[in-house]
Amino acid sequence: MTRILLSDKLDNCVARWRKAGLTVIGPVKKETFSSYAAVEKAADVKKETFSSYAAVEKAADFNFEMVMPDRSIKELFFPQTEPMMGYTIKKQDIATEDFKPPAEKRVIFGARPCDASGLAIDDPLFGWDYKDNFWFQRRDETVIVTIACTKSDDFCMCTSLKLAPDSTKGSDVLLRPLQNGKGWQVEELTDRGREAFKEIADQLQDGSEPAAPTAVVAEKFDLDACISWLKNPENFDSTFWKEISMRCIGCGSCTFLCPTCHCFDFQDEGDTYSGIRRKNWDSCSFSLFTMHTSGHNPRSTQSARWRQRIMHKFNYFPGKFTANSCSGCGRCSRQCPVDMGITETLQEISTLKP
Amino acid sequence: MQGAHNNIYKPAIMKIVDRHDEAPGVRTLKLEFQNPADHELFKQNYRTGMFGLYGVYGEGESTFCVASPETRKDYIECTFRQSGRVTSALASADIGDLITYRGPYGNRFPIENFYGKNLIFVSGGIALPPTRSVIWSCLDQREKFGKITIVYGARTVADLVYKHELEEWEKRDDVDLVLTVDPGGESPDWKHRVGFVPTVLEQAAPSPDNCIAVICGPPIMIKFTLISLKKLGFEESNVYTTLENRMKCGVGKCGRCNVGSVYVCKEGPVFTAAEVSKMPQADL
Repeated sequence: MTRILLSDKLDNCVARWRKAGLTVIGPVKKETFSSYAAVEKAADVKKETFSSYAAVEKAADFNFEMVMPDRSIKELFFPQTEPMMGYTIKKQDIATEDFKPPAEKRVIFGARPCDASGLAIDDPLFGWDYKDNFWFQRRDETVIVTIACTKSDDFCMCTSLKLAPDSTKGSDVLLRPLQNGKGWQVEELTDRGREAFKEIADQLQDGSEPAAPTAVVAEKFDLDACISWLKNPENFDSTFWKEISMRCIGCGSCTFLCPTCHCFDFQDEGDTYSGIRRKNWDSCSFSLFTMHTSGHNPRSTQSARWRQRIMHKFNYFPGKFTANSCSGCGRCSRQCPVDMGITETLQEISTLKP
Repeated sequence: MQGAHNNIYKPAIMKIVDRHDEAPGVRTLKLEFQNPADHELFKQNYRTGMFGLYGVYGEGESTFCVASPETRKDYIECTFRQSGRVTSALASADIGDLITYRGPYGNRFPIENFYGKNLIFVSGGIALPPTRSVIWSCLDQREKFGKITIVYGARTVADLVYKHELEEWEKRDDVDLVLTVDPGGESPDWKHRVGFVPTVLEQAAPSPDNCIAVICGPPIMIKFTLISLKKLGFEESNVYTTLENRMKCGVGKCGRCNVGSVYVCKEGPVFTAAEVSKMPQADL
């Protein structure tokens, strides 16, 4: 016997959580216009879909059919742009105002295991020595209810990263879809998860319905072989880097969509009298990222920048924080405009001599 | 280390109490903390070699060393070349104006390990400020160190920074100062050497015995100075230098200042030549 949440009770749960003051967030797919083009009739207007984790009001707003939303869960904790402080300068006085993330309690219902893992991977980064409270305030006030994957696509690679379609890393509650498709088995993992589910305890029931089999995600590369190749200092100057990154256009999409890429920039918005200092996503793919004032650029070519991204994720980051900075969501490859990504690179590396 | 603010990216407010033009386009600002708690934290944490982010709201922040020594913590001095948006804003600030400072960040020169040893400082151009912080930290407790030699060069006589302090060091009999300018950079009344820093260093020929070298300069100078020191018999582990890279956060999160696996902002900026030679040279 396991605890079960039936899909038709989800509406009640959303209402209950919202009534308790929680913002409920989940995978949502929206239609959006893609580009301008001549049309003859209304039906010619082409629409594209766009998906992300976004606030919902009712169960019907969720979309659990997608393998995963286009955008990762990262932006809910580390927004693309976020005000850090405001400033007002008057004669001999600088007044500053601290901006904090909105103090809202949230439940994310239907996170993917790779997205939840990504958050856990970045926790030590935002916490070493200096604690970034923009990240941690949101982490502390968000309950993550993950749904194990029962389907995958060609780009999924969690298993290659030694994670799984039902990993619990970073999750407060893990749900396993039922075989009959009518709900989920509930596994509460943390106190924060138990607390949130107390709110909807009367909506759960005991049952013996088996869980659907988790998605089969084929292993795409030998991670250990890749890591030992990356750790060999001789390979830093390998011609491999030039070859693999030849077609990279440096758009930075992979880093923006990545659930673990955390690089950022500060920009002042305003003038020298008043304004806001913001923290914005930045990307190691951009040439200005490391450019010195003198014009010297330590990573002056796209191949040096792609090498940095791979080395950072699989060599430098685990050296400092134990985990690889990749949870295997595959968005970098799935949405790359020139069909490259971590999978392709590591597959190639697997075939090289260490 | 978290600091007085809950927001780790929020800078302290500093008042410019003095400023000095060092060379064309190069200016020193002397800054005082406006908030005693910020100052207290600085006094507790600052050691020579550490850096900070100096800024002007509306323009941004720039990374330079703290040019004042750890033996004088009532104020901060920073020296910079006016070259971009932030440094232009800093250069146009007047005495009495307020600017921002975050820090001190990074590691330091372990000067207590230099006690009883001879010291040679080798520096070029605008890289004297970080070296000067160590020099004064040692000169302020002169009795703890052996012979102190300073080799400093710039492209032209005008480009030498801290000219008033160079005069002071020249007069001291407990400091050997060797000044040089690049060939063609001398003025008619120049009485010192003419030649590149590494060459002049080899001519000065300091003994590597019981000696620590602290070098700082443009990458090309560092490269050839390391070769010269090796020729003179210095061990890589007795040669210290300080690296710089573009930074935004200063606290190991924004992801850009690393050389290979080493974060300059956290594990640096001070490294021994032995540590630098282990880094992937293509990433420097």
